[in-house]
Amino acid sequence: MQTCYKASAWLMAIPLLVLFLGFTIYPFFYMIGISFTNCNLSAWEVPKWVGLKNYATIFDDLVAAGSVEFTILLVLIAVPLEMLLGLFVAFLIDDVVGESFWRSIVVLPMMIPPVVAGIAWKMLYNFQYGPVNYFLSFFGIHRISWLGDPVMARVGVIIADVWQWTPFVFLVLYSGLQSVPQDLIEAASVDGASRWHTIRYVHLPVIRPLVWVVLIIRLVDVLKLFDIVYMVTFGGPGSATHTISYYIYKVGLSFGWDIGYASALSVLLLIAVVLLTNVLIRVLNVRQLLGL
Amino acid sequence: MHSIKEIFKYILLLALVIFFFFPIYWLIITAFKVSSDWFDWPPVFIPTRFTIGNFLGTEGGFQGSLATAISSITPYLSNSIVVALVTALASMLIGSLTAYAISRFKIGGMFFASWIISIRMLPPIAAALPLYVMFSHLNLLNTKLSIILGHLVFTTPFSTWILITFFNDIPRELDEAAYVDGASMIRTFVSVILPLSAPGLAAVASLAFIQSWGEFLLALILTSSAESQTLPIYLGRFITGWRIAWGPLAAAGLVTMVPVMTFSLIMQRYLLRGLTFGAVKY
Repeated sequence: MQTCYKASAWLMAIPLLVLFLGFTIYPFFYMIGISFTNCNLSAWEVPKWVGLKNYATIFDDLVAAGSVEFTILLVLIAVPLEMLLGLFVAFLIDDVVGESFWRSIVVLPMMIPPVVAGIAWKMLYNFQYGPVNYFLSFFGIHRISWLGDPVMARVGVIIADVWQWTPFVFLVLYSGLQSVPQDLIEAASVDGASRWHTIRYVHLPVIRPLVWVVLIIRLVDVLKLFDIVYMVTFGGPGSATHTISYYIYKVGLSFGWDIGYASALSVLLLIAVVLLTNVLIRVLNVRQLLGL
Repeated sequence: MHSIKEIFKYILLLALVIFFFFPIYWLIITAFKVSSDWFDWPPVFIPTRFTIGNFLGTEGGFQGSLATAISSITPYLSNSIVVALVTALASMLIGSLTAYAISRFKIGGMFFASWIISIRMLPPIAAALPLYVMFSHLNLLNTKLSIILGHLVFTTPFSTWILITFFNDIPRELDEAAYVDGASMIRTFVSVILPLSAPGLAAVASLAFIQSWGEFLLALILTSSAESQTLPIYLGRFITGWRIAWGPLAAAGLVTMVPVMTFSLIMQRYLLRGLTFGAVKY
């Protein structure tokens, strides 16, 4: 009886299995295969096996190194900023009058499509007429070429990413703070704990698992960063704001059509993502979440 | 002393709120600015003249700027609606079937569950490369079907995951009662489980809609003409143009943003549940 049901349960999962086998598993093996060839979509010749040549090229590729460097910068600067700011805003809003009003404004950036956010930031960063340069002029800072200067363009992308994703960190951690039992907080204050001590010993332990979850999700998402870069800087100036995703796109499907090389890059990116995902699965306690 | 600290707190909060809200405010007002206000110094923060010409295409622009109007957006808008709706419905359907199987019969166990998570983590670019090659062999490039299939790969894991958490909350005794009464599994699923999880289904469909509507990379790669391109691609093409007419661009952005933002705000809690794999329930 039970086995019979289990068999029909697998039948129900067939559409998903087809989708995933056909559009993820098969393509991946296909991609790993291509990464060992010199497949190029703009050339008319049959792809040839070139072994590890594509992988070897990566280490001599300065633009690839630059895009890895920028991605690492995002990981080291944007993600920690988002985490700290998100945590800070969560505690701040948890503690003021009109929580839901403030909350619904702060979460807006994560609700808009990244492409549209890109438009907004492109306008704000405009050299001649942009409001950002106008605000800076109050502080006596002369017009900054946000999109023309390699360093400032990177800063610009980081700010836009922080703007869009801090709300996500905030919302997750804020919802965690809501679940801190009120009597614990009261007990702490009766015992004479300062605000800081209450945060340190009552709030933080409760939201710690969420901090890990949101941190890993942000790390993986930053590796995927594409839309904002495409819209705001178009990867420029030069290749200053190429992220890994953007560079793969450019090499494989936009300017180079060198699918072989782009696949090799993707395989490496995938390895990084798989490692992070494994950490996440451990942290999430999947078994309990799904009731397995 | 205490009140100074309080005031300081609100000032800080206000500054943060301005930071988060200002870019959206700017987008909205630019969409309604007359063309002489697009480029002005100091920038026009509180416009006194408003126009809907940016939406209608009557506001013109300036010499050599890209012309745009609702009429030129229409094909993209309708593509977006078709793609997002089909994606939403299909991923709700596929997701609910699988979720039921996992929730009640634990098929695939941890492996299946981890697999679904890893698809969520998958960088779209890594999927886009082989999908592009595959679809070009199948002659599916530049069709709406190709985008829908591409989007389904990313939305279905979400849908499945969220629905598993919903189905787990429905008492198992209900299924068993139905089985005892002689209902088949599909029958039980359709007439017992689905009606009880209607809010979950609505949430899942809206989330898939949101994801599909705003998705950029896959749609960019898989399409090449107005026959199948979605709104975000239209915006992307627009912005890389040489002289950008800000008003119409912001107007087009607003059209893209409004449906998603509305949905997201309504579905906030489920959105969060989906984004964090149910680690957050509030």
